[in-house]
Amino acid sequence: MSIGERLQSIPRWGVYLMLILVTSVPLFLPIRVPNKPVESTIDLYAALMELPTDKPVLIASDWTKSTRGESQGQFNSIMRILMRRGINVVFYSTGDPQAPRVYQDSMRVLNEERAVAGEPPYERWNNWVSVGFFAGSEAATNGIANDLRGAFRGRKDFAPGRGLIDVFESPVMRGITKVQDFPVLLVITGSKTSNITVERVSGKTPLAFAVTGVMTPETQVFYQSKQIVGFAGGLKGLYDLETLMEVGINTDNPNTVKSEKYGSIPGFPGQKNDGQGTRYYPTLHFAMALMILMVVLGNVGLLLTKSKGRR
Amino acid sequence: MNYDLLRLTAGAVVTIGLYTVLFRENKFYRFCEHMFLGLASGWTMVALWTETLQTNWWEKMIGTDRAPGAWAYALLLPIGLMAYLVFSKKHNWISRIPIGIILGLWSGQQIQVWFNTYGPQISASMKPILPTTWESFIVPSATGLSPEATAAIRQNVYPSQAITNFLFVLTLLCVLSYFLFSFDVKNRVLKNATTLGRYLLMIGFGAIFGSTVMMRFTLLIDRMYFLWWEWLREAVFNIR
Repeated sequence: MSIGERLQSIPRWGVYLMLILVTSVPLFLPIRVPNKPVESTIDLYAALMELPTDKPVLIASDWTKSTRGESQGQFNSIMRILMRRGINVVFYSTGDPQAPRVYQDSMRVLNEERAVAGEPPYERWNNWVSVGFFAGSEAATNGIANDLRGAFRGRKDFAPGRGLIDVFESPVMRGITKVQDFPVLLVITGSKTSNITVERVSGKTPLAFAVTGVMTPETQVFYQSKQIVGFAGGLKGLYDLETLMEVGINTDNPNTVKSEKYGSIPGFPGQKNDGQGTRYYPTLHFAMALMILMVVLGNVGLLLTKSKGRR
Repeated sequence: MNYDLLRLTAGAVVTIGLYTVLFRENKFYRFCEHMFLGLASGWTMVALWTETLQTNWWEKMIGTDRAPGAWAYALLLPIGLMAYLVFSKKHNWISRIPIGIILGLWSGQQIQVWFNTYGPQISASMKPILPTTWESFIVPSATGLSPEATAAIRQNVYPSQAITNFLFVLTLLCVLSYFLFSFDVKNRVLKNATTLGRYLLMIGFGAIFGSTVMMRFTLLIDRMYFLWWEWLREAVFNIR
């Protein structure tokens, strides 16, 4: 077998073994990749930091464990920002029946993190309320956009010591009658529910997204045409968000992110800002390097085989 | 064995089970796959009742202690059940009634959906391709300037912006011209534009594919983190 043929027939198990190595070993190494956040994530961070604190935020949490690698980190970072700013949250989901369970679990973990940091818990019912799952994303989002009270009617959540109570009795929902009462609708999704939200809610309240890498190119179009105020796309968006939480925008921090669009927007130095983005981003580079190497080797092998054939 | 260790071990075993398909198709993989499908289906059925049908239909029909029921909701049941007649050879025409209702509702909404999605994008595509000032090639920094001076800078189109806009408009027109399938393209300029449009589309698809690959790698990295860190290191060996 010639070198060219060998390069084209690297055993599959060997490639998988290398892949497992490059996606595992760097996780144990203290590597930090320099970062320059993209404009869309800077806009998302600025939008979150400029939200009024007296109004709740509506979050469509449409991700499950299948996109945990990206969506969980995005959810955690966004919630850390909102919790630290004392902003109440109304959750719903149209993407997957498992999604409400997943965001409730994530809120439990974030509260455990707050307890370790000596911060008060973010209480269900008093600080956040779960409206639950709606089947049929198009119809449900349409209902939320045009008749929020009708869409949420009959929905219940757990009130401490009282059991299941109508969500409109929650202090979080005080004064909320329509989608326009929310200063922003955030969609954290592992599917196309972000597109459906643009289709149905666009123009009624500002929209901001956290999407997976697959959805990033499509979401970029909405951002460029100003249909959404900002978004975090994939692992890069998440890493950007964590960077911004650490250094802020135009602050005194020597590593601060510079932006001419905004004045000084602080970060949260000294608090837990690092998460999945900081942890996974360096490892992603090793995986990409392996893939590029494999593509190059395969092509070199093909060229060598062809040139040998010609001779 | 505590509950957390049990839960994480089950997750680890199933994760490894699903990855065994990379080696070859096997019964352990099939078992994990079917278990996942069963769990997801069961969960979905319960969630559909508790989170949708119960609150949006059943309670509205029979009423609650806070609001009286409305019998008209009962009419939805036979309409919904009609859809299942698709399995009957004799009566499957009846299933077209609920499908027709859904199609009618859907079609009516599409005008708004289309405009909400593409209206702002069409408007945002109308970009100026000629510079309005030659004072500076690139956009000057607005740091430390008054709001009026900043607004003046933002109103102008600088040459660097005009070039970017030109590339955008060129790409848009070339890609649109690629989809002219209604007639035979013989004009040389149009022919070159469609060819360029095809290449630009390929570049776009390449970028989209790259983003997709990165996402898949991230999911794999997350699984590796789960296996090595959350399960083995923290749960099994209790290293924090």
